[in-house]
Amino acid sequence: MQFYLLYIDPGAGSYLVQVIIAAALGVAFFFKNIVLIVKQFYYRIFGKKSKMP
Amino acid sequence: MHSASPHPSSYRDPSGFVFEQGGVLYRQVNRFYKEDFDLFINSGLYHHLVSSQLLLPHQVVSQNLTGTDNWYQTLRPEPVSFISYPYEWCFDMWKDAALATLRIAREAIEHGMLLKDASAYNLQWHKGRMCFIDTLSFEAYDETKPWIAYRQFCEHFFAPLALMHYLKLPLQTLFLSYPDGIPLSLATKMLPYKSKWHLHTQLNIHLHASVSRKAKRSETNQAFSRKKLLNLFRSLEEGINSFSYNTSSGVWSGYYNEASQRDGYLQQKKATIDRWLQQLHFKTVLDAGANEGTFSEMAITKAERIISLDADHFSVNNLYNKARQNQWTNVYPFLTDLSHPSPAIGVNNRERSSMVERAQSDLVMALALVHHLAIGKNISFEFLASLFRSFGKMLIIEFVPKDDPKVQLMLQQKKDVYFWYTKENFLLAFSSFFQLKETEEMQSSGRTLYLMEAHER
Repeated sequence: MQFYLLYIDPGAGSYLVQVIIAAALGVAFFFKNIVLIVKQFYYRIFGKKSKMP
Repeated sequence: MHSASPHPSSYRDPSGFVFEQGGVLYRQVNRFYKEDFDLFINSGLYHHLVSSQLLLPHQVVSQNLTGTDNWYQTLRPEPVSFISYPYEWCFDMWKDAALATLRIAREAIEHGMLLKDASAYNLQWHKGRMCFIDTLSFEAYDETKPWIAYRQFCEHFFAPLALMHYLKLPLQTLFLSYPDGIPLSLATKMLPYKSKWHLHTQLNIHLHASVSRKAKRSETNQAFSRKKLLNLFRSLEEGINSFSYNTSSGVWSGYYNEASQRDGYLQQKKATIDRWLQQLHFKTVLDAGANEGTFSEMAITKAERIISLDADHFSVNNLYNKARQNQWTNVYPFLTDLSHPSPAIGVNNRERSSMVERAQSDLVMALALVHHLAIGKNISFEFLASLFRSFGKMLIIEFVPKDDPKVQLMLQQKKDVYFWYTKENFLLAFSSFFQLKETEEMQSSGRTLYLMEAHER
């Protein structure tokens, strides 16, 4: 089936930027996930006052 | 065969189109979209989204109502009481629309599909929640490709929300000027310097804008994966969750707190409105200048639909949050300046209809409003009478005399050229369109409530 580029113009570079961003996020979330795991551990032991997000 | 023409806003997608026939709105699915549509249903994604109340449900009508060759299926979507556009949404409504879109995209992936567009026009405020209405927006998910709708999501959701968050201004009307979304090149320049230090804004707006500017060729051989896409969604979601815009402009917030201190005024006003609401017959109400919905609320048990319009963002936002919290399904709070309500725009200036066309209601309430439009915006009584008449046939309106403290406040900053602003002229102007049914003087304040009904044309 022929692939039409549909009606969204992805814009030059939006594909490329997603790859770049996803790579940057991979690193950022790796460290953030570690922090979150530590926090979870801490709150389970010490309890926390619930804070509305 | 009765040939039906597509709705003026439904033309871009070869997958299908929306049309009206016999007063009912239908969506035709074209053969072009057959495989994706079947996958959408068979994968269970449709049912999952409908039961999560994220998607507008439809009934299948197995008839070719338009007589066209590429017909595959006809759907009859659940009717939406009131169509609104993003430039009328308060910040929190827009934020909820963005988060709903991301949630839908993530659910879609679980079922092997993905959104092929992320337009803000795909959502409507319906039955008390932001609901996705473009059923044909889903395509089979290819894990190796980046998200085709990513840029559109950034321009329709991330950029406008970021701008309002950082600049603390109601920039919804920018969307009237940029109907395809706020261009990234504009957003990156308007955002303040400190936004570059926010990870998600930096990536999704600033970096996005600068890489797009430089890249010329379209790259189709980029390695992508599900994990990468999920990270992208997470970044968009965390960014948007961190945005807020709830700051008061100072003037209208607490308007009724102050007003209620004027002994008896608010009580008498509420009692009169309550009495009139009970004796009148109506299904739909338009509360013009609704503020935080004090009077809109009074019609909740009786009206099928209450449209609450106000030009003050803080008030509309508060009313929206109240509606969400209380799970009101018949209150429609929107940002509108009645001195220049949303025009008809788009293709042939018919794609998006004007606020006046959409907001027609049985009963119009214009409480504590006339003086803002007449003195604040210099609009004559004749134009105001015509404005309210174009919205509906029954009118409850409050006349605020010139010696009222609020009017005096306005006149402190202007020259008093309002020699025409008198109760007599007011009643005369309105009598061209309306017949006076009842009058209620509010002793403690000098203001008067009027119940009017339009003359038979």
